[in-house]
Amino acid sequence: MRVIVADDSVLLREGLVRLLAENGHDVVAQVGDGPSFVTAVRQLRPDASIVDVRMPPSHTDEGLRAAVAVRREIPGAPILMLSQYVDVSYADDLLADRTGAIGYLLKDRVAEVSEFLDGLARVADGGTVLDPEVVAQLVVRRGRAPLDALTVREREVLELMAEGGSNAAIAKALVVTDGAVEKHVKNIFMKLDLPPDDEQHRRVLAVLAYLRG
Amino acid sequence: MATWTNQPAPTASPSGVPQVAPDPPPPARTWIGRILHQLLVDTTYTLLIGLPLAIISFSLMIVGVVLSAGLMVTTLGIPVLAGTLLMARGLADLHRVSLGHVLHRPTPRPHYQKSEPGRGWRRVFTPIRDSQSWLDLIAGIVDLPFALVAFVVTVVWWTIGLAGVSSIFWDWSIPYAPGNYGPFRALGVANTHADRVVLYTIAGLIMLVTLPGAVRLVALLRAHVARALLCGVSEMKEQIVGLQVRNAGLTDQRQAAAAAETNALRRIERDIHDGPQQRLVRVAMDLGRARQQMESDPEAARATIEEVLGQTRETLDELRALSRGIAPPILTDRGLPAALAALAARSPVPVDLRLPPDLGRLHPTMETTVYFVVAEALTNIAKHSQAEIAAVRVDIFDSGTVQVWTADNGIGGASVAKGHGLAGLADRVRAAGGEFDVSSPVGGPTELRAVLPCG
Repeated sequence: MRVIVADDSVLLREGLVRLLAENGHDVVAQVGDGPSFVTAVRQLRPDASIVDVRMPPSHTDEGLRAAVAVRREIPGAPILMLSQYVDVSYADDLLADRTGAIGYLLKDRVAEVSEFLDGLARVADGGTVLDPEVVAQLVVRRGRAPLDALTVREREVLELMAEGGSNAAIAKALVVTDGAVEKHVKNIFMKLDLPPDDEQHRRVLAVLAYLRG
Repeated sequence: MATWTNQPAPTASPSGVPQVAPDPPPPARTWIGRILHQLLVDTTYTLLIGLPLAIISFSLMIVGVVLSAGLMVTTLGIPVLAGTLLMARGLADLHRVSLGHVLHRPTPRPHYQKSEPGRGWRRVFTPIRDSQSWLDLIAGIVDLPFALVAFVVTVVWWTIGLAGVSSIFWDWSIPYAPGNYGPFRALGVANTHADRVVLYTIAGLIMLVTLPGAVRLVALLRAHVARALLCGVSEMKEQIVGLQVRNAGLTDQRQAAAAAETNALRRIERDIHDGPQQRLVRVAMDLGRARQQMESDPEAARATIEEVLGQTRETLDELRALSRGIAPPILTDRGLPAALAALAARSPVPVDLRLPPDLGRLHPTMETTVYFVVAEALTNIAKHSQAEIAAVRVDIFDSGTVQVWTADNGIGGASVAKGHGLAGLADRVRAAGGEFDVSSPVGGPTELRAVLPCG
């Protein structure tokens, strides 16, 4: 997979590049600020990009704005955002165009190498990957009442769905069969009155739309 | 004001206005001497300076005002008015001088607007625009009734007093109609030479005993009214302005404190984000890789773990540097001399450090501010100045004020403009109530000076 890495910290960039290289990915460009990221994507059309939220010149959410700009130009360009901290409002910005192929993870998750690489692959495939932290914030924001109707197991499935997990992935994470997950999903959609949908990205959006109220 | 500086006690009011000094403390006198001295001063004020000055002022002011009002239709009234106001000012100055002796209080001369350079109407209008000139004019008019009362009381008391006690010498020379009449009958005194002398002497003694009090009373009455108009209003105005200036200063200081704190917090956040946080993420990343490598390539895993160890050491170094930036431990533990010596030793540019030998512990805020002024200055010198040598001096004045001065022989061009490190430093110094200035012409040398009030 051809990947662009955008992070102003050389330290982290190098770490990511090594990790990706060791796992058979090809880092086609490394950039350190928003504008050069936009240029690099335009020229190289990578299979996926890994972008730090905070970058020069503004040292605020430069990376996020660059990502939004890229996806306005190239709809659905797969981007996995990394950040030292996550915030729902950033997730809102990223999910606003509803085209999928987007991810938003805490930088710490990179340490779980295989899960990180799995997330990257899902984003490149057009899926949506959200950090559990974001989902937790969404659940808190949504309030308890409607979610009380769900069983504990169903809550877990809902959160994994929001993070972008497929049925198979959720089954693996909870150590249950695919069939059991399917049953839970159906119950959740029924209890929360959500339109059923099998396609992974649309399903995430539905769950997120619900959580965002 | 240079001519005032060599006088031991400032003869200027806090606002810098020269003033008529009150009486020097009188040489040790007996109480009777003090009363007689004061009587002399008060009498001079009510009698000799009093009435003539009041009559001259009143006449000139009334004539001037009436004349200028009459002439106002022709523009001639304006210079006449201006002239009247200037005369009022001169007479007011005279009056202020004598007031000081009566009241034993300073009578500062108020600020008058200075006429602007140039000729013609602008100069003419200056006294007219000046509010104190109008107060002088009013004082010149209002003074007359008070001066009259004071004059009459003084004359009556002095005359009856002196004449009464000396009646024994002159009573024989006055021809009296025979018989008991007038005051003599009313008081039940026989109209004989002896009885008259007794009566007159008693009356004279009463007047003489009450003389100092009576004269003092009317002199004070007149002097207080005059002082209120001639000095009081302008003093009040200056107090208000002074308060406003002080408040503005305090507001500046508070804002600078808030700005310095916000900036410091932002910098700490940025430093944590760019430093230890990044390193720890990298550590986690590499450990994740090492775990992956463990299965396929244990040698590579060992190498990765070695790198991770290096990363953790660097993270610790960064954390130490960071905590030094917040509150350097050596400063907290050992005070300024040790902390500044450590700074000088760490500086890549050689530093000539001179501290007062008796530099002990200061107020913590003061110590931290001094420390950061020197730290920031030396950092800038090392980073930007290309200097070969730097100098740092700390001086403590008797008043407790501390001055920090740094200099280098580098290329200059440092600025306190917003966004530079020096702006943050200036905020920090102002937050501590101090003053900060930079001299750094292009081509050098650069000098920083921070003056901090005693904490």
